[in-house]
Amino acid sequence: MSDRMLTMAEAVREAMTIAMEEREEVFILGEDIGIYGGAFGVTGDLYHRFGPERVLDTPISELGIVGAAVGAALSGMRPIVEIQFSDFTAQAMDQIANQAAKIHFMLGGALHVPLVLRTPQGSGTGAAAQHSQNLEPWFASVPGLKVVVPSNPADAKGLLLAAIDDPNPVIFLEHKLLYKIPGRDPVPEGATRIPLGVSKVVRTGKDLTIVATGIMVNKSFEVAEKLSAEGISIELIDPRTISPLDTAPIFESVEKTGRLMVVQEGPSHAGYINEVIAQVSGSACFGNLIAPIKRLAGMNIPIPYAPQLEKVAVPQIADIEAAAREIVKNWR
Amino acid sequence: METGELILYHVKPGDRVKSGQVLFEVMTDKIDMEVESPADGVIEQLVGEIGVAIEIGKPVLIMQTDTEVMSFDFGGDAPLPDAPAPVIEPVAVQPAAIETPVVASPVVIAPAPVALPPLTNPREIRAVPKARAIAEDRGIDLRTVAPTGPDHTITVEDVGGNKLSEDQIKRQAANKALIAKGLEMTRSIPQISFSRNVKSGSVELTSVISNWARVLRTRPDLNISPKDGSAVSHVGVAVIIESKYGSALPVFKDPDLQTVSELADLFMSTAKSAHNGKVPLAMLSGATTAIFDLSKYKMNSSAPVLFPNQVTSLTIGENFSGEKIISLTIDLRYLDFYDGAQLLDSLISAL
Amino acid sequence: MTANPLLMGHPLSSPEHAKHALLYMYRIRKFEEAVEDLFGRGMMHGTMHLSIGQEAGPTGACLALQITDQITSTHRGHGHCIAKGADLTRMMAELLGKKIGYCGGRGGSMHIADAETGNLGANGVVGGGIPIAAGAALAAKMRKSGTVAVSFFGDGAMNEGAFHEAANMAAIWNLPLILFCENNKYGMSSSTEKAFKLENLADRGKGYGIPGVTVDGNDVVAVYEAAEAAVARARNGEGPTLIESVTYRWKGHSRSDKNLYRTKEEIEEWKDKDPIPNFIHKVLDKGILTQEQIEEIQKVSTEQIMQAVKEAAAAESATPDGLLEAVFKAVSA
Repeated sequence: MSDRMLTMAEAVREAMTIAMEEREEVFILGEDIGIYGGAFGVTGDLYHRFGPERVLDTPISELGIVGAAVGAALSGMRPIVEIQFSDFTAQAMDQIANQAAKIHFMLGGALHVPLVLRTPQGSGTGAAAQHSQNLEPWFASVPGLKVVVPSNPADAKGLLLAAIDDPNPVIFLEHKLLYKIPGRDPVPEGATRIPLGVSKVVRTGKDLTIVATGIMVNKSFEVAEKLSAEGISIELIDPRTISPLDTAPIFESVEKTGRLMVVQEGPSHAGYINEVIAQVSGSACFGNLIAPIKRLAGMNIPIPYAPQLEKVAVPQIADIEAAAREIVKNWR
Repeated sequence: METGELILYHVKPGDRVKSGQVLFEVMTDKIDMEVESPADGVIEQLVGEIGVAIEIGKPVLIMQTDTEVMSFDFGGDAPLPDAPAPVIEPVAVQPAAIETPVVASPVVIAPAPVALPPLTNPREIRAVPKARAIAEDRGIDLRTVAPTGPDHTITVEDVGGNKLSEDQIKRQAANKALIAKGLEMTRSIPQISFSRNVKSGSVELTSVISNWARVLRTRPDLNISPKDGSAVSHVGVAVIIESKYGSALPVFKDPDLQTVSELADLFMSTAKSAHNGKVPLAMLSGATTAIFDLSKYKMNSSAPVLFPNQVTSLTIGENFSGEKIISLTIDLRYLDFYDGAQLLDSLISAL
Repeated sequence: MTANPLLMGHPLSSPEHAKHALLYMYRIRKFEEAVEDLFGRGMMHGTMHLSIGQEAGPTGACLALQITDQITSTHRGHGHCIAKGADLTRMMAELLGKKIGYCGGRGGSMHIADAETGNLGANGVVGGGIPIAAGAALAAKMRKSGTVAVSFFGDGAMNEGAFHEAANMAAIWNLPLILFCENNKYGMSSSTEKAFKLENLADRGKGYGIPGVTVDGNDVVAVYEAAEAAVARARNGEGPTLIESVTYRWKGHSRSDKNLYRTKEEIEEWKDKDPIPNFIHKVLDKGILTQEQIEEIQKVSTEQIMQAVKEAAAAESATPDGLLEAVFKAVSA
């Protein structure tokens, strides 16, 4: 058992390194990923290790980059695209949503698109509205895309390796505040994959189920630890893959706790957590609910610039704590 | 209020009534009230007199209720001499006890307090889903419950929490006694159990049901009538299913002659209704063997119990590495050791 | 139902080549006519984009390609599919929503792809296939496969960002890509005069530092020669070429087009430049094929299309079975 503590950026880089060593079809392309090492330093020294062809610096052409990756994927390569900020995927949306996602289905199954699109998302850097969004629902609403949102370095490594193996397009959304933070758990050496579409019970509990992804898992975990001292026992579930969504552990947990809170950073309206709520509402575990389902999400506003404004726009630890305490106290 | 005047019977002895059907009307000093049947059943006797006041707690009529789920049958076509009679309890239906309920019988049917307005729409009451489920299960009228949750919502605690209802406790106890009595009869039978681990994770219960029936069909001598021990022409697999009233034993007749999906559908619907205390009458008798699936609890019973007049019995267990363990118990008066081992081997090969 | 092996080479270099060029132009023409007829009689649904009048472009370009070379195509893509060697029955079956159709009825006219003949797919989005072709060319370069990629697109696509981004990337990386613009004068109703401030769209090549050539897109020989030169350049590692193949679509943009934006006279004028008689004159003049041989080819092509319609119509209709499973390719253990 390894006890290496890596940051998410290091873990993602390690996964890409392993994949590129394993198969020569794997290559990375994106803006400033070469000598610069990536806007968030994720590709780091890979340019020097694998050369300019396999760590391919591109012009600022998001649509072209993703399109080229789709074409390369159709031609036997396994490209990993880095889009500098998830916000910029808007530029590339035709290739993501109309091409990559649909080719396998629409063209009759003879072709497939083994493509990974990695991109940082999330607020907290003071970069304002066009550099801070959480866009899971854009991707999760397109059949044909798999959407992964890792919450810690160990998961990020295993999930990314599985994503690169996957014969389908995978959108891999990394929260930029997690890049520099070591996880709670060590990152195992070697090339162990974590299958996509498997929810993880991060912490067991009996009073309240919290479903969260990405950085909200970290925040919710902190709340769960704190509230356990008050006798409130929280079960925390990280779906890890939003699409496809593994609901069984969520249903099982709600069956047990009777209370559900879903937490996301993105705006509440039409967020992916609404899908979680819809699935729970339509399942047998609904009958076991002893409290209304609590939804904690970002405000329905573009992310503002000033730190005091940015902070109120997305759920903070104190918000999660207050909501969790209230739901357990009020509903017995 | 201590008495109610009986105004009118809506039923007569021999009538078959449904749960919720009006049985009689009483007049109290506040209001006239219709009293509904608490269950499906047959009216045996009317014991009250029209126009005469009846004391609270005294019977008004006697009826036999159907409690189908627990009246499982251990043998083939007729009850065993020593088998307990089907659990059918007389239920005394009484007028409401509003101020001081007088419990004269273990089962007291308390209609809604008369002072309440008629319920036009039950959804006008706010309650969390689980509280509604509990209330329905226990026959609690949500109008009588004081909400303590936010926005005047009835919580689970308000309806008494997750405790078992009296009815459930009573039925579970009766059920346990019944099973115990049945098994008592088979204790003296010479028997032996075998088990084997099965690697495949695809040992679905329905597949075991169907394959076990297929194996037993090749051995008509093992499917016997409880009356005379003669062979019967069908294979009846009793499957022990968890219900909220304890164990239920629906019998799947000739499951090997059904398609996999037919059997799976039948199993799902039967398991669901059995859980809620209802097993179709046709599935209450005719068992020639039994299966007990413990795998969801990651447990294994190395010695499955033999039910009366059944020569074989199976359990499915599971260990923590996900391996299934199938155990067979045989009645040594019908099968010898090697025969039994071979039988289990045939089943596992079929799977 | 086997795909026709592709023949490569100059359409006038031998009777075989001339026959091939003529047969494929006829196949495209007759296929489109059959489709129009089936739509007209209500036997096909959805929409259709016919390429009647444009047959020389795909036929000439594909004569310069090996079967392993890749193409991306457009919403008006039947011609590219046929010229690259697609099976006519499976194409027709797709349009009729049949199980044996190229997409099993899931794609229809605008989404026919054929992995066997290097066809990465038609595309419902204008310009959608151009970056994909650039990616195929990138893969060819990385894998040193020696293949080239051709992206067919219309004049309208040249005003999409996708064209710009792909052309630039192909240029800076010297990708083996041929940007093949079929300038048929109209992007739906917008004429090239309204949509461009350029006389020759091929002049755009200069902006990317790549060669741009304009050819008569109704002359299969001229198209072949331009494509062949571009393919040679690409295979040599010299990078992409922009070819503007000037042609004309006889039919409306799609079924709903009432041709309000152009005159009958203009359409008639272009019908006089029909690529098929144009080529027939050439082969007769040069004595490569006889009148009888030409008539035979026309007859064979008609029979082939009728056979395809017959087989496709008789095939089993697509069913909803497995639609959900078809969204993703199964992950192998």
